[in-house]
Amino acid sequence: MSAVILQDEIVHYEVLGRGRPLIFLHGWVGSWRYWIPSMQAASVTFRAYAIDLWGFGDSTKDQSRYTIEQQVNLIDNFLDKLGIGRIALVGHGLGAVVALNFAAAKPEIVDRVMAVGFPLDGNQVNPRLRTATPVELADWLLGRIPAAESARVEAPKADILAVQTSLNNLQNVDLVDFSAHIVTPCLFVHGQNDPAITPPQVEDNTNLPEHTHQVIFEQSGHFPMLDETSKFNRLLSDFLSLQSGESPRQLQLKEEWKRRVR
Amino acid sequence: MAKILIAEDERDIRDLITFTLRFAGHEVLATANGEEAYEKALKEIPDLILMDVRMPRMTGYEACKKMKGEASIKNIPVVFLSAKGQETEVQTGLEVGAVEYILKPFSPDQLTERVKTILGQIRK
Repeated sequence: MSAVILQDEIVHYEVLGRGRPLIFLHGWVGSWRYWIPSMQAASVTFRAYAIDLWGFGDSTKDQSRYTIEQQVNLIDNFLDKLGIGRIALVGHGLGAVVALNFAAAKPEIVDRVMAVGFPLDGNQVNPRLRTATPVELADWLLGRIPAAESARVEAPKADILAVQTSLNNLQNVDLVDFSAHIVTPCLFVHGQNDPAITPPQVEDNTNLPEHTHQVIFEQSGHFPMLDETSKFNRLLSDFLSLQSGESPRQLQLKEEWKRRVR
Repeated sequence: MAKILIAEDERDIRDLITFTLRFAGHEVLATANGEEAYEKALKEIPDLILMDVRMPRMTGYEACKKMKGEASIKNIPVVFLSAKGQETEVQTGLEVGAVEYILKPFSPDQLTERVKTILGQIRK
């Protein structure tokens, strides 16, 4: 287990691979752990870090740190502490919100963002996210596939206040306006059957800025990285392979891709 | 869950195997060649040893032979990680005492499943 002390508190993270830095940020259910398949895939060419945000997994539970702003500060301090420079960010749910906020604040550091299950509209967030316990959220949002166990076992570690505080923060933000002003190339990924964050009706990119793109996984719920792992990893690999500053507009879902050990 | 010793000289692969097995719940001891693996095996008495064949300082075969000659570790099952198309390697590995081989390339999921199966067979 790897950990750093940030602002006198413990932040847990794991890391795999060598190459350019890539940071994975988990969502409202689970912890860093459900990124394992994505980290394994990305570690071919990236140094993949996955962090437990404040209040989740094995990072410190302290309710004074649960605002979106504090979670963004965590990323900033983490990069500073580990001496990490320009990064690619992959965030899911809460992690997507944190990733995009960080990209908006530090566009010179963030090369690209993949935002999975990011609510483009506050009305897309199912109110149940705010009221259910972490275990109830896990039961609701995770399927029975074996891959989901990595999120399920970590769900009870989350502080419910960490979930609720971040969701309350979201109510005060115009997310459409916010995402439209981000200058970093962004790929929005949605699960067609996501009950927590309602996906767009169609894969319509016409109203999105040129440097953004959205892709819908038709067989996925809230966790496309677990529901359609190989397809997700292929898309992630293609996105990470783009030139710096290149729009992800041409990306599309392709057949499966798996990392294999030589 | 088990204590698993791995010997693999390529760092990227060693790291990936370590990461994969560690987060599948195993305790993993990582070494970079046959000599290190032999010494670590004597000291730690793992439940299972996974070894690449071609490694510097001491190959997987040599390490396996040496392990099978040491009373305290001779019964620890050794599994070779062998490249596809190197079937002679597989045969030689079995002759020097390996119980199994896993053909490369393999995916992390496949590795986890094979290890689970092998551990299940050992414990029967």
